[in-house]
Amino acid sequence: MPGTPYPKEQMHRIAYTKLSEQQIASKLSAVSGPASASPLSDVFIGKSIRIVTDKGPALAYTFSKNNRLSIAENGGGAVQAGYGALTLGNIIFLSHLIPGTQRGYAVVVDQSTNLATVFELWFSGYEDKREVQREIYYGYVEQAGQEAPKARHVTTNRVEGKGFYWKQDAGAETLEFFPSAAYSNFVELSRLGGELSFCAPSDFIKINDDFCIYTRTECEFSGTFTAYVMDLNGVEQVGVRLGFDANDALEYYVFRGKGEWLGQHAQFEKFGDEAGSVVPAAGPGETAAKGARRVYRPFKTMAKMTKAEVDAACAKRTDAFPVRTGGPGAQMGGNIGPNTKWLAGKTFTLRYDHAPAIEYRVEDAETLNWRKEGDSNWTKARYQGWESMPGVIMFGHLLEGTPDHDGHAIVADFHQGLVTCFNGFLNTPYFANEAGVRTLFGVIEMEGLVPPRYNRHQFTDEMLGRAVSQNYAPGLTSMHLYSTPHSLSWIIFTGSDAGGLEWSGPAAYVKIRDGLFFMYWLEEACNGTLGTILVNLHTMRDVGVGYNCGPQGLNMSAVGAHERLAGQFDIKRFYQVKTSGGIV
Amino acid sequence: MSNEATSTRRSFLKGGALLAAPLVAAAAPAVTAARDDLKARLARLEDEAAIRALHRNWLREVNTRAGDATRKMFAEAELALDHAVRGITADHTGAPEAIEVAVDGRSAAGRYECAVEIETAIPKDCTLAQMAYAQGGGFVRRTERRALKVDYVKAAGAWAISKVEFAAI
Repeated sequence: MPGTPYPKEQMHRIAYTKLSEQQIASKLSAVSGPASASPLSDVFIGKSIRIVTDKGPALAYTFSKNNRLSIAENGGGAVQAGYGALTLGNIIFLSHLIPGTQRGYAVVVDQSTNLATVFELWFSGYEDKREVQREIYYGYVEQAGQEAPKARHVTTNRVEGKGFYWKQDAGAETLEFFPSAAYSNFVELSRLGGELSFCAPSDFIKINDDFCIYTRTECEFSGTFTAYVMDLNGVEQVGVRLGFDANDALEYYVFRGKGEWLGQHAQFEKFGDEAGSVVPAAGPGETAAKGARRVYRPFKTMAKMTKAEVDAACAKRTDAFPVRTGGPGAQMGGNIGPNTKWLAGKTFTLRYDHAPAIEYRVEDAETLNWRKEGDSNWTKARYQGWESMPGVIMFGHLLEGTPDHDGHAIVADFHQGLVTCFNGFLNTPYFANEAGVRTLFGVIEMEGLVPPRYNRHQFTDEMLGRAVSQNYAPGLTSMHLYSTPHSLSWIIFTGSDAGGLEWSGPAAYVKIRDGLFFMYWLEEACNGTLGTILVNLHTMRDVGVGYNCGPQGLNMSAVGAHERLAGQFDIKRFYQVKTSGGIV
Repeated sequence: MSNEATSTRRSFLKGGALLAAPLVAAAAPAVTAARDDLKARLARLEDEAAIRALHRNWLREVNTRAGDATRKMFAEAELALDHAVRGITADHTGAPEAIEVAVDGRSAAGRYECAVEIETAIPKDCTLAQMAYAQGGGFVRRTERRALKVDYVKAAGAWAISKVEFAAI
């Protein structure tokens, strides 16, 4: 029976073992060097080199074979170790561990300039000991009788905006997007089936205009470290993967890969700004500790509540559309635009195909009465609505009294008689305060309106690959990258408008009209929020509602932003189910 | 300085002048007044110079966030401004600075037009704001032209700032 490519749990749901220092040491001691599916390079055999770094170690190497070296750090005693090296043009990528320690190195040498970048890597440097730590040193390969070169490899934002498909020599296939100069977004096509994309803190280092170095550390997940050199023109890579997988098995291998360039989306920094390290590890006037970096740890910091706690929090406070000057999520509605009075005084029924019909009697621009069809009692609710396109009203309200504290984010097209509802609810399986969502398609029944019998709004992949920025309020600007049909990532900009921290969650996209898309995302293993927006590509404004429960209670709030289209990656073909079976 | 009037040489000169030119003697109070005026002017100039030096040091402290002598009153000024101040630079395109020392020389007021870099914190009320804080941001900065109004007091022969206020221009 053929298997599926999907894991039992997606990465953000895997309860990775908190490996102890001893367990890690034991697993590391079992390997001598990195595995490789490709033949290792013999470029170093018989040679000795000394790498000098500016604020880091001096590394003296002697290579006896294509997988054995000796290393002396800072003039200390030489240690024998296994290693693997791969070349890409003039660039050599090598990696090794220091036997008897939890440390190792990944080293990039450009033979044409003798410049080198050294990544010192170690385990047990953070409370989650399996998370690989890294420190980056810039330097050169010492040449007898020659002065040290003045140039160095440098951190850069020049990789920002790019996207690639990669297939490694051992078969792993990924899509990797760089919408940030500090984070990256990756889709594990072969390992996880490509349903969701995930994000990781990253380094981007310029070797020259054609070659650069990329790293990511899968913080909040397995803690695995990946680094590679990529040839931007040839779309080839050589690199290393080091970490422990979901079964706690050590993954340590060098790899070679080939890929495809998927496109380039816009950057928002000022012209001429090519600075890297856009999210400095330390604050102004502070010195960063070795290996320090800013990491967004939403799972670590999120409130994790039980059903009883959720019920109590909702009973304590349930708020719909609090005034903008205060209340949770108020900032996200900074550019929402005027509330519509279109629904005021109207009576209609939203008849969903696979959920109870809801009847409405709307009093005014902020008050409606709803009831499930067949019920005798009406429930009054505060709502807000916006007319995104003529005849298309997006509105939201909470359904107080429902057992799972439901909230409806609704787009009703009164010209077409069609409705789509993202039905948010709580008491979900992982954490009760984490929102879940059902997508309800249906029709509008209203006097004078004849709804279609068969036609419905539909899920779409038209937004797939697009990057769209959103300015919600001064200082609150982000960008969405629609990286898979079932997820999106969001990137927050830095003060210089470089892409900064990034995270992702499950998502869905519904086409309402040409240029009008209704979408949601779930901040799973994050803040638990259900975000919904109706994106109007004609006006480049989105309107929507956020639905969130935390210790402070349940909240539905307005979301509204001015948008900019940043570009689109060509990725639809990676998500087609092929007739030969399997994904991709 | 205060015993200058009792100087023997000056007393002699004063007496000689009286004998030689009685008509000039009638002008003696005017000379004294002029001298007193000169004294007062000199004292005022010295006070103004001391206040300018104090102001320069204070600006340096504010812009480098060093020192704590004036932190409390600066915090009060920020509070009144309703924003955090991250930098102040003199606005040489505005009105010239004005320092007025009180007649008794024990207090003074300064007015300086300047460009104030203001930082407004974003409420940490949503995921994006939390991410902004996590990356060392979480604020909006802008520069506004303001008049910096500073009150000074002289105590134990030294000037000190007693109040700072940012006024609209």
